Amino acid sequence: MPTIDLWAVDGYISTPDGKSIYIWGFTDKAGGSAQLPGPTIIIKRQDPPARTMVTVNLTNSLPEPVSILFPGQSEVRVNGNPVQPQYQNGSLISLTNHCLPGETITYTFYAENSGTFLYESGTNPHKQVPMGLYGAIIVRPQDYMPDHTGYKTAYGTGTGTEFDREYLLVVGEIDPDLHQAVELGKPYDTRVYKPRYWTMNGRCANDTMLPDNVDHLPNQPHGAMIMLEPGEKVLIRYAGAGVENHPLHPHGNHTRLVGMDGRLLQNRTLSNTTDLSYKRFTVLTGAGQTYDQIYTWTGLGFEPVTNQIPTVIPNLRNMAIGHTGMTMWSGSPYLGVKGELPSGMVSYNEVGEYHFMLHSHAEPEITNWGAFPGGLMTMIAVYPNGTLERHHGMLPVESHGL
Amino acid sequence: MITRIRRSATDGWVNTPDGRTHYIFGFGDISGVPENELVNYRARAELMAPPLLLKAGNEYIVTLTSLGTPTRPDLDDPHTIHYHGFPNQIAFYDGVPEASVAVPVGRDLEYYYKPLDPGTYMYHCHHEPVEHIQMGMVGPLVVYPHDYDSSDPAYKTAYGYGTGTEYHREYYVFLNELDCSIHNLVATVQEPDWTEYRPTYWLINGRAYPDTIDTPGGSRLQSQPWPALIKANAGERVLLRFVNLGFQQHAMELLGAVLKVVGIDGMRPLGQNGEDLSYNKNIIYIAPGQSYDAIFTAPEAPDMYPLTLPFYNRNLIKNNSGGVEPGGMVTEVQIYAPGSLPHQTEPNQA
Repeated sequence: MPTIDLWAVDGYISTPDGKSIYIWGFTDKAGGSAQLPGPTIIIKRQDPPARTMVTVNLTNSLPEPVSILFPGQSEVRVNGNPVQPQYQNGSLISLTNHCLPGETITYTFYAENSGTFLYESGTNPHKQVPMGLYGAIIVRPQDYMPDHTGYKTAYGTGTGTEFDREYLLVVGEIDPDLHQAVELGKPYDTRVYKPRYWTMNGRCANDTMLPDNVDHLPNQPHGAMIMLEPGEKVLIRYAGAGVENHPLHPHGNHTRLVGMDGRLLQNRTLSNTTDLSYKRFTVLTGAGQTYDQIYTWTGLGFEPVTNQIPTVIPNLRNMAIGHTGMTMWSGSPYLGVKGELPSGMVSYNEVGEYHFMLHSHAEPEITNWGAFPGGLMTMIAVYPNGTLERHHGMLPVESHGL
Repeated sequence: MITRIRRSATDGWVNTPDGRTHYIFGFGDISGVPENELVNYRARAELMAPPLLLKAGNEYIVTLTSLGTPTRPDLDDPHTIHYHGFPNQIAFYDGVPEASVAVPVGRDLEYYYKPLDPGTYMYHCHHEPVEHIQMGMVGPLVVYPHDYDSSDPAYKTAYGYGTGTEYHREYYVFLNELDCSIHNLVATVQEPDWTEYRPTYWLINGRAYPDTIDTPGGSRLQSQPWPALIKANAGERVLLRFVNLGFQQHAMELLGAVLKVVGIDGMRPLGQNGEDLSYNKNIIYIAPGQSYDAIFTAPEAPDMYPLTLPFYNRNLIKNNSGGVEPGGMVTEVQIYAPGSLPHQTEPNQA
């Protein structure tokens, strides 16, 4: 049975415009700093009738009580008893059993449903969740076998949720005034909550496009770049960890929404299955909501030989390219072809891959404190067949072992 | 055969019912305009942008020509066309300057499209999108099914013959907001802080009520040629093409008729086995960057023609124009006796 040790601690994150922001968050390393978002917990369900009990030990190193909610999970217990909201003098002080500073508390729950979930603080959640005390849980179906065709799925074989690669995007907001008030021990008026930064896996664009585990972002270990080859099915998991709703729009294609809040979008009876999945090009990821979606890109014939797209590249000296001093473009309209770019241009294009933006269409959210580019934005990169290393978009079967 | 369409990118001014004018960037239709007359189209941006009407399976070249911004001659921003939602787009024609090319002042770029999927889409500039979208470089894009035939009731459809999307009339419900202080800052060469975005006007088809129910033309609204008045004969099926290119979610409510949602983001709502997931609504919630196709049947009302159905934003505070109510996202559906209105051949044709 998986056991995860989490510490609620503080730390700092960096934004691309040079700010350092104080956060509260979770880490799974003793003595570690807060990580944004918290460590991703990935669980594979047991074959029935065995049930998958997950144990989470929370040690509180913050100066006030902290707890963890497990929305969508079954039979959440603390020390063997069902979790309950906590009251002091008749007043609600926590949505679930909490852990005092310096203490450790043990939660258990049963992972009964495959899908994408959140875990987040239930104590002073208006403050602690925006401060960073949140993370994602991925529950895999019991028949999940990443090396077997038809068994690498979000919800189980035969559910139409097969995928080749998967990416998790946990989105949130940051009001720096809240973070500064908490750091300095000053009061903060929740009514004036006003995000100035928006995060995707804890990072603001353009840091979202950097790889995982870059040295200068030690507490924001996860990138948000989505990479695939044509025809591959990519499972994109959105998790709305902030307090606002974000309309996320991937360029390049629609997604098919196959799961919502950790539930397969299907009605099943013994005799009948009604598939309720549908396609969208902009998904409003609500506060606390998760969406599992399949994205593919199957553009045809976009190479110089058959040339189904009649394209004459204009004289590039007449065009605006890389106005910020860099470009993701290859210099060619064709997949897998690198063209000539004006001298002095820094191109981050590797092998002629296509880059499609994925971003919030509430466009002020793609700024860092009002300056574009930033915030909830990343790229989807379509690599020519056979050029994308296998490890991209490969999350482990389980994160914290048996 | 390739159809050629041409759009200008330039600036201009729009008007709100309180008599104020607001500086915009935007697109104009310069299809067929001779090169030596293009100069006359500077500063003539329109809000909403001229619709791009395409047919599935046909080929198009849309030329974008940047005519500059006479009110801001200092500005050297390039522009693009992003065909929002185009399935299986290639990066070169996706209009994202960071992943393709953009069009500087005085230059052209030809975008090639061969749309295969019918539905309601949208287009906008993607250079500094937060600024260029708010400044007005936004418009609807409709892809008609390959078998579309406006003269044959079985083939005048949103998604093709036999898809249950037949209609008699179609109208845009194109939504965005306008923050007048930001438009003023841009007009006066100042940098806005976009996290302070706070709209002061809420627009349908580029107009605030009561301009929404005004007729086309008139010098005050020359940059806003699209009324949002919806007219139909009783018993007709009316297709509303909702697009939201503002930065807020909206809630458009129709009183007196039921909206059947037959398209979401340019796709019929169909499950993996073809399950029909269309549904009925009174209010369409629509987030930024989304589209909906909804069809209602104009109700009969003998002795009451023309019958008026209110159509407005249920986020009621958005029903104001610069602080005057009613205003903003409010318009009307007017229903006439059967046979009163002639056959509609173009969207929004009254």
